[in-house]
Amino acid sequence: MAGRRGGGGGCCPPMDLLRSEPMQLVQVIIPMESAHLTVSYLGDLGLLQFKDLNADKSPFQRTYAAQIKKCGEMARKLRFFKEQMSKAGLAPSFKSTTRDDIDVDDLETKLGELEAELVEINANGEKLQRSYSEMVEYKLVLQKVGEFFHLAQSSATAQHREIESQHAGEASIDTPLLRDQEMATDASKQMKLGFLCGLVPRERSMAFERILFRATRGNVFLKQAHVEEPVIDPASGEKVEKNVFLVFYSGERAKNKILKICEAFGANRYPFNEDLGKQAQMISEVMGRLSELKTTIDAGLAHRGNLLETIGDQYEQWSRLVRKEKAIYHTLNMLSLDVTKKCLVAEGWCPVFASKQIQDALQRAASDSNAQVGAIFQVVHTKELPPTYFRTNKFTSAFQEIVDAYGVARYQEVNPGVFTIVTFPFLFAVMFGDWGHGICLLLATLVYIFKEKKLSGQKLGDITEMTFGGRYVILMMALFSIYTGLIYNEFFSVPFELFGLSAYACRDLSCRDATTVGLIKVRETYPFGVDPAWHGTRSELPYLNSLKMKMSILLGVAQMNLGIILSFFNAKFFGNCVNIWFQFIPQLIFLNSLFGYLSLLIIVKWCTGSKADLYHIMIYMFLSPTDELGENALFPGQKMVQIVLLLLALVSVPWMLLPKPFLLKKQHEERHRGNSYMPLETTDNSFQLDTNHDAHGDHEEFEFSEVFVHQLIHTIEFVLGAVSNTASYLRLWALSLAHSELSSVFYEKVLLLAWGFNNVIILIVGIIIFIFATVGVLLVMETLSAFLHALRLHWVEFQNKFYEGDGYKFYPFSFALAGDEDDF
Amino acid sequence: MGFLVTTLIFAVIGIIASLCTRICCNRGPSTNLFYLTLIITATVCCWMMWAIVYLAQMKPLIVPILNEGE
Repeated sequence: MAGRRGGGGGCCPPMDLLRSEPMQLVQVIIPMESAHLTVSYLGDLGLLQFKDLNADKSPFQRTYAAQIKKCGEMARKLRFFKEQMSKAGLAPSFKSTTRDDIDVDDLETKLGELEAELVEINANGEKLQRSYSEMVEYKLVLQKVGEFFHLAQSSATAQHREIESQHAGEASIDTPLLRDQEMATDASKQMKLGFLCGLVPRERSMAFERILFRATRGNVFLKQAHVEEPVIDPASGEKVEKNVFLVFYSGERAKNKILKICEAFGANRYPFNEDLGKQAQMISEVMGRLSELKTTIDAGLAHRGNLLETIGDQYEQWSRLVRKEKAIYHTLNMLSLDVTKKCLVAEGWCPVFASKQIQDALQRAASDSNAQVGAIFQVVHTKELPPTYFRTNKFTSAFQEIVDAYGVARYQEVNPGVFTIVTFPFLFAVMFGDWGHGICLLLATLVYIFKEKKLSGQKLGDITEMTFGGRYVILMMALFSIYTGLIYNEFFSVPFELFGLSAYACRDLSCRDATTVGLIKVRETYPFGVDPAWHGTRSELPYLNSLKMKMSILLGVAQMNLGIILSFFNAKFFGNCVNIWFQFIPQLIFLNSLFGYLSLLIIVKWCTGSKADLYHIMIYMFLSPTDELGENALFPGQKMVQIVLLLLALVSVPWMLLPKPFLLKKQHEERHRGNSYMPLETTDNSFQLDTNHDAHGDHEEFEFSEVFVHQLIHTIEFVLGAVSNTASYLRLWALSLAHSELSSVFYEKVLLLAWGFNNVIILIVGIIIFIFATVGVLLVMETLSAFLHALRLHWVEFQNKFYEGDGYKFYPFSFALAGDEDDF
Repeated sequence: MGFLVTTLIFAVIGIIASLCTRICCNRGPSTNLFYLTLIITATVCCWMMWAIVYLAQMKPLIVPILNEGE
């Protein structure tokens, strides 16, 4: 079993990306003093996936829990700085001041100091801001209430004067008799009236007024005035619209009540003096305080801004350092502590090709940290399934992601990604065949590709990010769409005679028959693609339907055969003869005796121009294979061939189903018997490890019924799948037809119609509608739907023939990969 | 331009393309094989598409019938 894995079955020369990198489980023993530096270097290298050897321990029980907590604390401080910077409208500068000499301990103290300073500045600033807004409110109250009093006084004096003047004159009849007395009592009572003034939030002013009225049973006089500008509330620091209020009351009890109500409504009260002279004095005092506070606040803000700016300059560097530090300690926590407590034991997966680089890194770390002994690196043999690692580049990675989205390849199985690079865009293009649209797509993606360097460093939106990530997929899709568009002879649904003359012409000069019997083929077949003569004719749709339907079946059968052939490479690579003889061969026979034969019939029919009915042939091949074919015969001896094919198909079903479970059982028994006499593994180290890893290794029970049921399901799935998958490829026909019909509708019903009016405005409107419809519906929606259908054809119809997809991905410990995430 | 001639052209294009990648970006046998696979797959796909459409038009069972209005 071990030889099977490492060796590479030797069926074919190695190919990039076809199989995942050979991996090995390694054990590294690192002396305690160089552990930190070693892990840091390994993180820079990014080719080793550490295994968690302390999975049973909680995060607090681990060796470096304290350091992680420290890093968390630093990260919190950095987050605080970032928050403060974003509040102040500062962005952390991205200019990389490459001063990597900061020590983590220094950084910690520095961050602590900075945080304390910033907190103090903030607290002071807040206090100042609060008193400043209080002063502003006070000023408003002084102004507004002063106005009230002034108005009241002037109106009172006016009234007085009026009354006096009336008094002075003869008492008229309507002079109230009691007025004198009233006035006198009023004057005496007025002295006892108390008043309160302040600000109340405008939205609560109505309720405030009502409550006041009720609580004092109407024994108050309330006056309110709008403050035009919203004022900053001292308590919350937010801008609120407020009213200045002035309330007169009588009696101590009423005062208490009003005070409580004010408190409940968040109305700030301010002292006010009736005396005009004192008012003026107060106002000037308040103004003085205000300007004083203003300068203090400004100075504080400037200081804070400077501080934040210095933080911002180094923020990126610091956060990178903290993230790195945290990652290192996390990794160190995954290592197990040796009994002597002098070294750490690491275990992890690495690609075989990286052994040298890892050993170099270990050596460098040992010498740089002046450790007395270097780290020990050794390969461990295990039966655990290694992770899957493909070395992709910027072109292939997007395609590999399409495959990985379905399932990560099992270790070293054939990677469908190799073929997906071509077949995925190709099948997309079969559904998206229009070279005008293809060119639009090409231009759009070329923009991304040319701006690649600039864009890859930036943060993009969700959708932009996705399309940018798939730019090379879109490039291939666009190129193939241009090709298939040329084949379909459609440029925004308009045909061109690019490759010579059309093969069709009128029967005679008058062209009378052209609308009834049709044109006649006068030349050689149009050499490349669909003949332009078909466009706009009555028989275009039936013709294209038949062509595209047959094309879908041919392409589908070809791709499914490719899938089955890939299962052969898998079986060969893993040395699994059972799969070759009892899965690959019957599957190939079954598919091709039915649908391979159908494809052959299609081609023969095209080549001979026969009028045979292929449906009829296929249906009666099953219903009554012995009947004569009559006029449906396409080649001599067809009946015999059909009977043989039918028998082959029938035989291949039990061939797929029965032998494999029995053979597996036999194999298992043999191995088990052999194993019991095998000597134990020699080196004690690997023995130790193997006891750990073998727990779920080779010793599982062989459940025959389970294997049989599994095989039964697999067989049924394949047999039914052969039919349904072939039918599923007809989506190529449907989608490509929908695309060409939609684009011709937009062209004829919008652009040509608008052209027909001979009016510039209508033409411009028509062109705009045409552009929007083309971009929105054809270029965006149709691209999406064709993409999804191509995706399905690959995931289901192609990959279910050979792909297990139950592996797990290789996640090396790497600073470069973890660096992008913003959270700590 | 018969079927065989154009097929030959496709084959020639495929061969030229694979030679080009072999000469221009020679990056070790496994990568070269990968490129070769890509080019062969692409050539076969394109050729199939063309061949299907060409064969379907060789002996037409139905012919274009013009619309009344034209």
